[in-house]
Amino acid sequence: MDHLARRLEALLFISPRPVATTELAAACAASEVEVTAALDALRAEFAGGRHGLELAAVGGGHTFTVADDCAEAVRELTGAQRPDDLTPALLETLAVVAYLQPATRADVAEVRGVSSEWALSALEERGLVEQCGRSEAPGSPILYGTTGRFLKLFGLEDRDTLPDLEGFALGPDDVDALRRRLVSNAERRR
Amino acid sequence: MTPGATAVDLEAAVAPSERLELDLDVFDGPFDLLVTLILKDEIDIWEVRVSRIIAEYVVRLAEREEFDLDATSQFVLLVAALLEMKSRLLLEQDVEEALDELDPEEAARELLARLVRYGQFRNAGAHLGERWALHAGRLYRAAPTPAALLRRPADDVVLPAGMLAAALAPLLEEPPRPDTSHLADLAVSLVAELRRLRTILDADGAFSFHDVAPQSRLERALTFFALLELHAQGEARLRQRRAFDDIVVTRVAPAPA
Repeated sequence: MDHLARRLEALLFISPRPVATTELAAACAASEVEVTAALDALRAEFAGGRHGLELAAVGGGHTFTVADDCAEAVRELTGAQRPDDLTPALLETLAVVAYLQPATRADVAEVRGVSSEWALSALEERGLVEQCGRSEAPGSPILYGTTGRFLKLFGLEDRDTLPDLEGFALGPDDVDALRRRLVSNAERRR
Repeated sequence: MTPGATAVDLEAAVAPSERLELDLDVFDGPFDLLVTLILKDEIDIWEVRVSRIIAEYVVRLAEREEFDLDATSQFVLLVAALLEMKSRLLLEQDVEEALDELDPEEAARELLARLVRYGQFRNAGAHLGERWALHAGRLYRAAPTPAALLRRPADDVVLPAGMLAAALAPLLEEPPRPDTSHLADLAVSLVAELRRLRTILDADGAFSFHDVAPQSRLERALTFFALLELHAQGEARLRQRRAFDDIVVTRVAPAPA
């Protein structure tokens, strides 16, 4: 590894949080292009299972993470536990906030068709969404957005890393099936 | 807030000893009866002027020697409930008009569109679930940076005792009392203001609002309120040539007996 890559390794080792490319460039007195190239070299060095750490790009920066096959030993030493899984309701609510943010409680309820007050509170408690201001709509409802912890726990570098929402659209067959179900439900009620 | 659910609560909220008698255009009787009739849809809430109710209650309060906090609190609760009912009716009307505009086919298309949109976000939620399964268990450095590696460790700082004492001394001083002159108790009495304006009307027959209104904002508001009351009682006529122009108040001659 060249000297720049070794300095980046040292910085990322010592930092308790992901570090942005710009910060690394400033600390090393190097250009962002040079830092990006050095990070690619560092990533290749730590890939392939040769080390107990891997280089990840999450939460708006770069950081070391424990390799999957070494996680158990780390948990044994530190007592760290995997966070509780999210229910489908929480994942749906989180998806609405992630793609529509900043979103109000009413925005979420309009998509899901049910009150999402509990879901938003639960996500807030788990540090995945946060309040980020108030809307100018009547009543000044609270606006919600995702957090840095959300990016980390879902392995996202930033919000733009999320797949395009259009990619999750229902296919024509699914839409037809929905339409047929609506019609048959209506006819059964007559 | 459904009328059925609140009728008992609202009626019970009015203390028996505080029967406020109202003389409104649409109603003449006790306040609690007015609330009951509104909840039972026997009086149109749109025709009830809440400002008139408040004005009458303020006059009653001013005539009393003692201030009953409990009774006044209950009155505030009832008036707040009336205002909320009126505001909810505004919103309900807008929603009902929107739904009435849709014919069955449009309503079905609207419902299908909403279900399709929900399905899209449900799929996005499932994708987040897959990412969660892959990434949520990852372990990152959690320990803070060792103190020895901080840019300016506090242990290296040496401060003379006198400097520390001088820094702490202002914290022990009594802070200056905040200026609350803008919150000073201003004794405003609607009854007294009505008496004053009636005296002027009896003496001069007419006056302008700018001539009689005091300088402070609260007192000017009270004077305006008193003008409205005089007008509502039929004692004075109010005229204004243009919006925000001065208001000319003229005494209305009492009807011949």
